Amino acid sequence: MKRLMYLLREAMRGLRINRANTIIGIITTAFTIASFGVFLLLYHNVRTITGSLQDQIQVIIYLDDAITNQDKSALELALKKETHIESHTFLSKEEALQDFHQQFPEEAYLLEGIGDNPLPASFIVTIAPAPQASSHVSTLATQVKTLSGVEHVRYSQDWVERVTLFSSYLEIGALSVGIILSLASVTIISNTVRLAFLARREEIEILRLIGATGTFIAIPYLIEGAVLGALGGGLSLGLLRGGFEIVRDNIRDLSWVGGVQASINFFPIQMSVMLVMAGLILGCAGSALSVYGWMKIRT
Amino acid sequence: MIQLFHVTKHYEGCIALSDLTLRVEKGECVLITGPSGAGKTTLLKLIFGAEFPDDGQILVQNRNIARLRSTDIPFLRRTMGFVLQDFKLLPHKTVYENVELPLIIRGLSSFDAKRKVSESLRAVGMDHKRATNTSVLSAGEQQRVCIARAVVNSPIILLADEPTGNLDPELTYEITELFKAINARGTTVMLATHNRQVVEQINGRMIKLDCGRLLTDQGTIS
Repeated sequence: MKRLMYLLREAMRGLRINRANTIIGIITTAFTIASFGVFLLLYHNVRTITGSLQDQIQVIIYLDDAITNQDKSALELALKKETHIESHTFLSKEEALQDFHQQFPEEAYLLEGIGDNPLPASFIVTIAPAPQASSHVSTLATQVKTLSGVEHVRYSQDWVERVTLFSSYLEIGALSVGIILSLASVTIISNTVRLAFLARREEIEILRLIGATGTFIAIPYLIEGAVLGALGGGLSLGLLRGGFEIVRDNIRDLSWVGGVQASINFFPIQMSVMLVMAGLILGCAGSALSVYGWMKIRT
Repeated sequence: MIQLFHVTKHYEGCIALSDLTLRVEKGECVLITGPSGAGKTTLLKLIFGAEFPDDGQILVQNRNIARLRSTDIPFLRRTMGFVLQDFKLLPHKTVYENVELPLIIRGLSSFDAKRKVSESLRAVGMDHKRATNTSVLSAGEQQRVCIARAVVNSPIILLADEPTGNLDPELTYEITELFKAINARGTTVMLATHNRQVVEQINGRMIKLDCGRLLTDQGTIS
């Protein structure tokens, strides 16, 4: 217990006496992690939006007016057999007209003078939420189009696919940037700890003299690195939150992205904790790199 | 206790120790003398595991230093004490904290550590300054604290490299008396010095080195 307290006290003393280096290390680490955080935040939101869009994918199968009951039953049977379909609803011509009047009361005049109800009957199919939902839509549409009595199939797949593609590009981007910036963080912390280590070179020699093991000597520096990384991670979280709020406020004024504001969110608490933990682990790694590298030379 | 067999050590081409064979028994007090560059410090460093011989074997408490893994060295050092001319105390810590440090490293309980530190500080006459920062102590006081730290672990061997190098004759006398007292309690003491006063005061076995070679090894001086 006394040993643990000593090691913790030494780590805190190290951070205190190298205050300037510590502050610089925390700030640089914070900006590095925040840069990665921007990608992560973007990826997180695009993924959330893509997910919600994929949950809402609907396919509308418009039927020929001359469809026979037999063809209609065959089509319904085919839809029932399809495992990727969550539900399907039949909308008769009359219901479609009623729906049109309800949804567009002011445009009702458009149908006047056309004579009989021009709107076709249809099946409204909801695809089951799944990561590959958009690809199921395209398969289903191709299959259904060949069936007798089907006039046209409409679905909003194209732009859902684009968002999905953008999301996967963003995933690769976030991963690459994450790796590069993680290495940068490790280097920054490693250098900060190395400076602290060099500043206390004589102290380390004394510890060696009185029988301290390499681990005993290294632990305060590992703690220093971990604290530095965690504080950098915490600060980066604050920077990201501030930046996020500014962006969200500005989005409110842009009409072309109306509605998006409600869908974008900051990291959930688990991801925020993970970001701080990532800082802590990177700090520890940077510190270990520096300390064990130095001790290997001195052994 | 300590055995050296044909030990040779070079530093960048210069011979620090050459074909040195030596045996030190438990409880002995050995003075290592000789001019600067004779190899006194190298000899102590080899015994302490701070350096490794280029040739020959060193047995300390039946352990071959040359074959020890680097991870075993700290544990060997915990059985020894080391006193240096420049004290090597932590200046930001108090007398008590400096002496307590080897016990923290060993993982001793607070109760035992407190008792041992008090004993050591009393033995060197520094108990009254336990709360003082070492940076404000005089040279003599710092050396006393350094000795207290070296013996707090009850070492089997105490090595001292020019422990009176920075001290006036009066302080040299006091510090030398401390080494005699430590030796009288059964600790093997090896003390490197070229101070005539220390040699005369201890009056023990004297090993004289010159240019890394053993010149004389005599029981007592006249």
